[in-house]
Amino acid sequence: MSAPGESFPQTRLSVLAAARSGDAAERGRALDLLFAAYWKPIYKYLRLKFTQAPQDAQDLTQGFFAELLERDLLSRFDPAKSRLRTYLRVCADSFALNEIKAASRQKRGADFLHVALDFSAAEEELRTQAIDPASIPSPESLEEFFEKEWIRSLFASAVAELQKLCDSRGKQKAFAMFEAYDLDGEENISYADLGAKHGLPVTDVNNQIAWARREFRRIAMEQLHALCGSEEEFTREAKTLFGETAR
Amino acid sequence: MKFLNDKALERLRGSGVPDLSGTRYELRELIARGGMGVVYAADDEKLNRRVALKVLDAASANPDLTQRLLREARVLAQLEHPGIVPVHDVGALPDGRVFYTMKFVEGLRLDQHVVKVDSLPERLRLFLRICDAVAFAHARGVLHRDLKPANVMVGPFGEVLVMDWGLAKVLRETSESNDTVFARFAKENPGDEETQATAVTGHGTVLGTPGYMSPEQERGETEKIDVRSDVFSLGALLKFVAAGTEGNKGQRLPRALQAICEKATAKQPELRYGSVSELASDVSRHLDGLPVLAYSENILERLVRFYKRHQIAILLITAYLVTRFLVLYFFHR
Amino acid sequence: MNKILLGLLLGTVLGAIDGGTAYFTPSVRAMIVGIVIGSTFKGLIAGIAAGIFARKVNSVPLGILFGLFVGFVLALLVALKQHGYYFEIILPGSLVGMIVGWATQKYGAGVQTKHA
Repeated sequence: MSAPGESFPQTRLSVLAAARSGDAAERGRALDLLFAAYWKPIYKYLRLKFTQAPQDAQDLTQGFFAELLERDLLSRFDPAKSRLRTYLRVCADSFALNEIKAASRQKRGADFLHVALDFSAAEEELRTQAIDPASIPSPESLEEFFEKEWIRSLFASAVAELQKLCDSRGKQKAFAMFEAYDLDGEENISYADLGAKHGLPVTDVNNQIAWARREFRRIAMEQLHALCGSEEEFTREAKTLFGETAR
Repeated sequence: MKFLNDKALERLRGSGVPDLSGTRYELRELIARGGMGVVYAADDEKLNRRVALKVLDAASANPDLTQRLLREARVLAQLEHPGIVPVHDVGALPDGRVFYTMKFVEGLRLDQHVVKVDSLPERLRLFLRICDAVAFAHARGVLHRDLKPANVMVGPFGEVLVMDWGLAKVLRETSESNDTVFARFAKENPGDEETQATAVTGHGTVLGTPGYMSPEQERGETEKIDVRSDVFSLGALLKFVAAGTEGNKGQRLPRALQAICEKATAKQPELRYGSVSELASDVSRHLDGLPVLAYSENILERLVRFYKRHQIAILLITAYLVTRFLVLYFFHR
Repeated sequence: MNKILLGLLLGTVLGAIDGGTAYFTPSVRAMIVGIVIGSTFKGLIAGIAAGIFARKVNSVPLGILFGLFVGFVLALLVALKQHGYYFEIILPGSLVGMIVGWATQKYGAGVQTKHA
């Protein structure tokens, strides 16, 4: 089972196939992957849609993943009918509605999860994004919100993986420059500024950032591939992820 | 994990968009996304003109596809013909991806254009211009292998441009001339032979578009693909062009034209036209009201065709003879 | 063969044939030689005119119309001189003009441009 902070495993099978595997270790790894990718988007989504207080939203999130395991909801997923993230969102919707109606929610722990669920960090992010959970957006905007959070989660995971890769290859400068230029997006920073800061010529800055971007995309695509139910879904999601229009 | 704000997300999502810094081009907008690459409109700042820039999709860039894109640019560079989109430049982006620029074609795709052309002869003349370009490529030893309406552009003045030579195959010696693309390739790129190209596209790999692909292409028999495969595609294109508007799709074509289409799209290559020139020649004869090789007329059809070809002369002479007869009959009985 | 020469030759031949048909009108059979010569000359003039027009204007409908006009005018002049046979002269004469007008548009070499 992967613990938080460990290197992201290269899953050959998609997470769905692995989750149905007879190999317990493989199944566990696949589920960790799934939960790591989805817990935050699900939490934020439930927080917004059902205007739940942070603690209630936490309970719902943990409860949903427990339900996912207990009722083996993944086995009912059909890639031909929808995307995996849409399926999970709809299942989460259904679960939350039932729980709220029952109003006698059982508090469920998250011992079965081997992924760190930093709910306070998720709350902080919601505040940073200046989204007011008290105002309920339209269904379409909620779907878009969920999609964006899913992308954010995937990209954050890919960035973390990229950082580990850079550390392991002694390319910390490349990551630092990529972070400054593409992630932090410091105002008016140029390749020349970065070159001056790191003692590199502009061409080297160019090449290293390009390398980091390529690696980031490769990692993100690998993670995406693992999270998709079929090749068709992967092709569609790749287009969603990386958009089509030029600047 | 680091929190990525919305702006960071935008930058990361757009990281597939080509960064043209350091080149002489400025990106404008996405034009098309194909199997192998993406085509953008860009401005050439040195020559102050709009170009089309083709680059591999960042998500699929790999050494094999890079080689294919370079090869496509080189093949295009050897084919200088008014009906073949000219390539202007080739280079590499800061992120290492190879690109090439070509003429920015303002116009409509063939499938969009033909619906506006009511006249069958005009649509057939358009088809002949496509044949000109393909015949030229064949004379230089290059097969297109993906001829279809979406790969032909029609400019504002009716000029035709055959596009997307990404699946082009450079044949081994097709003529005695040293001026074939293959001969130049072999001289300038000793390792880059047709077998290498086959390795890139893969023997047995099915390339092309259903409906316009020859049977041998569909079966992946790349070694059997020759000019007649392009003839097949042109035959399918001719059927499309001849039908024209959606409303005409159910209408029967003239029998001679139908026979030309059938001959061009025969399942066996031996039964097709041997070259694009032969196909074009037959279409041209049909346009001129002459008998075509693909169809044997009966006497009646021959007479009808003769009449259609000389309609005005026949009518004038007949009018004269009738007038003469009437004058003699009524005035001088 | 250029268009003017084509018009001249064709006009001459058709004019002669047209004149020759007067043989079938007994009342004028005696003057057949004069009629043929006159008709031939009429055809020649019409042919040259149509040829010149065809070099300037590239349009089959306009060529036919021009031939009709020239044929009509020349035939009218002849008919007026004859003080009769208007229908028998003007109608076929106009048609001959149309035939020559069409032929000079469709066939014959156009203006040759000299290259520097």
